[in-house]
Amino acid sequence: MTALEIILLLAAAGLGIALLRQLRELRKLRRWASQPRLSDPPEAGGAWGEVFNLLHRHRRATLKRRRELAQLMVRSRRGAQALPYGVAVLDAGYRLDWCNDAAREQMGLDPERDRKQPIVNMVRAPEFVEYLRAADFSEPLRLGSPGGGRTLSLQIVAFGDEEHLLLSQDVTGAERVEAMRRDFVANVSHELRTPLTVLSGFLETIQDLKLDAGRIRDYVGLMAPQAERMKRLIDDLLTLSALEHAPPPDAERIFLQPLLQRVRAEAEALSAGKHRVSLEIAGASDLLGAEREIASAFTNLATNAVRYTPPGGEIRLRWKLTSSGGEFSVEDSGIGIDPEHLPRLTERFYRVDRGRSRETGGTGLGLSIVKHALARHQAVLDIDSTPGKGSRFTARFPSARLKAAQTVAG
Amino acid sequence: MGTAEHISKQFEADLDTTRTRVLQMGGLVEAQILAAIQAFATGDATLVAQVIENDARVNGYEVAIDGACNHIVVKRQPAASDLRLIMAISKIVTDLERSGDEAEKIARMAAKIHEHGAHHAQRFPAIRHAAQIAVKMLRQALDAFARLDVASAAEVLKEDSELDAEFRSVLRQLITYMMEDPRTITASLETVWVAKAIERIGDHSKNIAEQVIYIVKGTDVRHTSFADIEREIAKD
Repeated sequence: MTALEIILLLAAAGLGIALLRQLRELRKLRRWASQPRLSDPPEAGGAWGEVFNLLHRHRRATLKRRRELAQLMVRSRRGAQALPYGVAVLDAGYRLDWCNDAAREQMGLDPERDRKQPIVNMVRAPEFVEYLRAADFSEPLRLGSPGGGRTLSLQIVAFGDEEHLLLSQDVTGAERVEAMRRDFVANVSHELRTPLTVLSGFLETIQDLKLDAGRIRDYVGLMAPQAERMKRLIDDLLTLSALEHAPPPDAERIFLQPLLQRVRAEAEALSAGKHRVSLEIAGASDLLGAEREIASAFTNLATNAVRYTPPGGEIRLRWKLTSSGGEFSVEDSGIGIDPEHLPRLTERFYRVDRGRSRETGGTGLGLSIVKHALARHQAVLDIDSTPGKGSRFTARFPSARLKAAQTVAG
Repeated sequence: MGTAEHISKQFEADLDTTRTRVLQMGGLVEAQILAAIQAFATGDATLVAQVIENDARVNGYEVAIDGACNHIVVKRQPAASDLRLIMAISKIVTDLERSGDEAEKIARMAAKIHEHGAHHAQRFPAIRHAAQIAVKMLRQALDAFARLDVASAAEVLKEDSELDAEFRSVLRQLITYMMEDPRTITASLETVWVAKAIERIGDHSKNIAEQVIYIVKGTDVRHTSFADIEREIAKD
């Protein structure tokens, strides 16, 4: 064997070993890369070590970026969750991707089970289906909530790659306020116009025709109640406006017993013997507040009962002390109120039966005045009623408004 | 992509489209019932006309969906659960169409009742309460169909007995009215028809819920006691 051969052999062996080592590192890399979840890359020396280090750094950066993205996503979901709107993320085919709790509650969506369902499978109202089909989202859509009883405002906003956001907002309260304001102006005008038409009609007749004195007296007699009605309406409007804008009522002592006697007397005067009116005082106490306001509230409740109870009926006025304060209630055996009217009963000019209210001299503002006057004394008005059986109106005062009774001299 | 896979994707899409159409028909029927009941409460003549006019749309849905079902059966010859879905859909559509007819009936009756004088209907909140139960049942049955949710379908079956009880109490009340004041007999009899229509809507909703159980479980639960159905659902 020549020296050259030995050198070649050694070189070959050395190359072989080096090759084996490289192959071992390569196998390590392969094994590492084939794991389903990447761990840190293997340790190694030399050029391989450099490659592994680069991979290591690259992986760290990726992990960090992924964590940041995940956090960003959690944060934005949390943000969307906290919005007072219902938010639903829809894909290009209007299928549900995700929605927040408000959307779940308002539109009856379930973010888990309804994922990838077309949104129209769940929100099925024909108006909404048509809204999506027309694809004109410049105006929001008003819709009754799928659960019923509430009004939603729905709007679609496009974003990203043909994706859409469906925003929903509960506008039940806003819609009611809007309707009330609209109705109020219409109602005031109408209520004032009716007696005014009668008045001007008579005035024209008196002006144009030569009438004898007796005839004129008759006409004036017919005109007076109309003027009276207009005056009453304006008085009530002013009272209501005063209640709304005046500073909180003084805490003067209101002697309750004489006040209740007066209320009863007024109810009896209006009834003119057609009803049995009783007054019961269980637990003497006085009230702290503005006497004029409380008197007007109580009188309104009592005279309402007289108006809506057929002759021969019974009206029971009652004051009693309770664990949380005191309450004044008016119970009648009248026609009662359908439950659907109860929530709106204290709205201005809200009338269950228009003809009846006017014919008995109501202005349609009584219960609004009662509610405002009571609210200014931290008292609440509760109404229980059964159609055909009768109603009970209860004004509940907190104990802070009560004061031990003091008898008045005389 | 292989041809077989392509065909199955297309089939899947056809089924989804049909399902969505059934649900949209359901949404329309629900709106029809609500409008009819509103017409009963208020006597609003435009609402009555609208309900009657829209019934044609409900019928249109029925024809179109039935056609689509036939088409799928003929062209794809579906088996097992897909076939069950198609068959259930064509039954559900019939129930929806009948519910739509009941809504139309309510609207027509509402118009008649209000011709006789409106106050009787206004004072009849029990009817509206029954209607709320019926609409809720229908909505829940449709939700159960969309989600293939057996538990929620079973709840609908339970609610039907609540509605039946409500119907009986409405009848008793109407009989009392008629005995107290014979002048209300005409309006009361017409109100009975409205109550009956509401009760029928509840029955149709129950049928739909039964079809949902059939789709998922493959068992026919029609004419089965509720306790048995609950046992059946609990299986597997």
